[in-house]
Amino acid sequence: MNIDNRKKLIELRNLRKIYRVGTELVHALRGVTLSIHENEFVAIMGPSGSGKSTLMNILGCLDVPTEGDYLLAGEDVAKLSQSGLARIRGRQIGFVFQNFELLPRMTALKNVQLPLMYSQLPKSRQRAIAALEMVGLADRAKHRPNQLSGGQRQRVAIARALAQQPAIILADEPTGNLDTKTGNEIMAVFDMLHGAGQTIIIVTHEPDIAMRCKRVITLRDGLVSSDTVPSEGLESVESHRIAS
Amino acid sequence: MIARLLHHATQWRVRLGTTALRHASNIATAFSQIWANKGRSLLTTLGIIIAVTAIITVVAMVQGFGDYMSKMLRGYGTKQMIVRSWTPQDEDSFGVGRVTLDMGDIRAVAAESPHISRITPFVFTETTVSYGRAKATQIAIRGVSEEYQSIRNYYADVGRFFGPIDVEHSDYVCVLGRTMLKLLETDESVVGDYIQIQDQRFRVVGILQTKGSFMGEDQDQTVMIPYSTALNLNAGQREDLRFLCEASDEKFINDAEGELTRILRQRHNLPPGVANDFQVQRQDQMLKQFDKIRMAVTALLAGIVSISLVVGGIGIMNVMFVSVTERTKEIGLRKSVGARRRDILSQFLTEAVVLSTTGGGIGIGLGYAFTYLASLHPKMVDISVPMWSVALAAGFSLGAGMFFGILPAFKAAILHPIDALRHE
Repeated sequence: MNIDNRKKLIELRNLRKIYRVGTELVHALRGVTLSIHENEFVAIMGPSGSGKSTLMNILGCLDVPTEGDYLLAGEDVAKLSQSGLARIRGRQIGFVFQNFELLPRMTALKNVQLPLMYSQLPKSRQRAIAALEMVGLADRAKHRPNQLSGGQRQRVAIARALAQQPAIILADEPTGNLDTKTGNEIMAVFDMLHGAGQTIIIVTHEPDIAMRCKRVITLRDGLVSSDTVPSEGLESVESHRIAS
Repeated sequence: MIARLLHHATQWRVRLGTTALRHASNIATAFSQIWANKGRSLLTTLGIIIAVTAIITVVAMVQGFGDYMSKMLRGYGTKQMIVRSWTPQDEDSFGVGRVTLDMGDIRAVAAESPHISRITPFVFTETTVSYGRAKATQIAIRGVSEEYQSIRNYYADVGRFFGPIDVEHSDYVCVLGRTMLKLLETDESVVGDYIQIQDQRFRVVGILQTKGSFMGEDQDQTVMIPYSTALNLNAGQREDLRFLCEASDEKFINDAEGELTRILRQRHNLPPGVANDFQVQRQDQMLKQFDKIRMAVTALLAGIVSISLVVGGIGIMNVMFVSVTERTKEIGLRKSVGARRRDILSQFLTEAVVLSTTGGGIGIGLGYAFTYLASLHPKMVDISVPMWSVALAAGFSLGAGMFFGILPAFKAAILHPIDALRHE
């Protein structure tokens, strides 16, 4: 499988993020360079403090880098205004969170419609129903989150992420609050979406989850320490790229 | 070209549709939020409810009483003037001499002023009236001419009013108000009989129609006699008369005042620059004065009530801050799925405005209810809620929601999405 024939979706060049905590400067990212192509299924791993949360926040346009470039579908995100970032979050990125983050007073359908409301896309109801169908929950559209199981809630959250047909689905420990069996079900949903051509990035610290992805990027101390394809053992993805 | 226009139009419609959807969703969210915190929302809006209820009720009352008074004043006719002698207060005119206003003055005005159609001297005496054993003290005796009845609308419905001959002859005749019948322990059969006024026998020639009371004064507790007779009883007023006159039409009231002023100044030999030694009181000016006072009272009460509106608004601000803190995580989520700052701002602003206008709506309803309850009282004047006060109350509560909602909404809007999402 030659990934280089596909469109480059994410390009990070020497990305740095420095936080100020009190008087101290914390270097969360010290120069991350990587690319992610269309329809990749990537896991980002790393111990706590490795900078993986920071990287996810920047990839999700919740935060901007201190230095370096972040090109998302060719657009330089670092140059965007607050509302520009909000637009990207709405249209290009679908978030899936560890604890689902569904609004409790809304039905599953309304939760899925939420991003569509902000992006002002037409036919939001049809789109939301279609997204619920993809995760197999069309029959639960009128249920509220507290009437759903954990796995079902996470599927509603995935449907919400899908509703906009975003470029990337960005999942932050999506199975962290679920038992193994339900976690596997959720991973099956991601597998299915990947099969349908969706680009997916999962941030996780569980090796089992990472192994189910097609590429594993490991961070350590704010730098990429390894970038591997699990099925191909330790062979580096970078070698493919350098060859092109 | 047309295709492009059509395309634009469609896009525009879609955008309009989704914007409407978002606003509808904001309002729906606001209501579900309010409903989820019923008790807290009610307590919060109580300030607004009370303030608006007070505005509606107070304005209705003030306007009701005001209309009543103004109708009464108008009933007197806005073309009337009362003229009385008056000692000028400024130093230049000091020592002008004894101020007088006598029958000569009145006759001159009657004869020479073309715009004055009716005129009557007015001699006021307070004295004791008795009939048989019944005695009434401190009765207002009005010494007037026969024209008084048409100027002030006092007509006799039993017997007759006294006429010009009675006045000319200084006859001892009188007409009685209905209350006098009660005080003198008699009925309409008293007509033709004699009563005692200040130890003089007066023949009762008529009974006046009932007029009711005005500002706590019983207008039927009165006795009217010819002014000429009154001056015989009370000679001290001969040189210090007052008179009531009426312009031929409302639009001539200024001309009439000018004429009588010129005539009186001439008769009193007042050189230019010296103040009038008489005073003209105009009914239409009193009405204007009264309307001014009424507006001032309304404004004052509205001002006091506005303070409670401000207090209510602060309550809303407080609860909105609480709501923003409670829902920080929700704000983070909304931002992560694409909500811009202005979306969050408008969501929370909508919530504050829904809260305050709901309170305003309840207040308007309660205001109507209280006004209706008050109008049930048998002695109550006609009151109704003026539309402008409803508009004012609605506008104020909307404004309070906007004004006091903006700060919490702004706080919500500028939250950093990551911090908000991590908030526990």
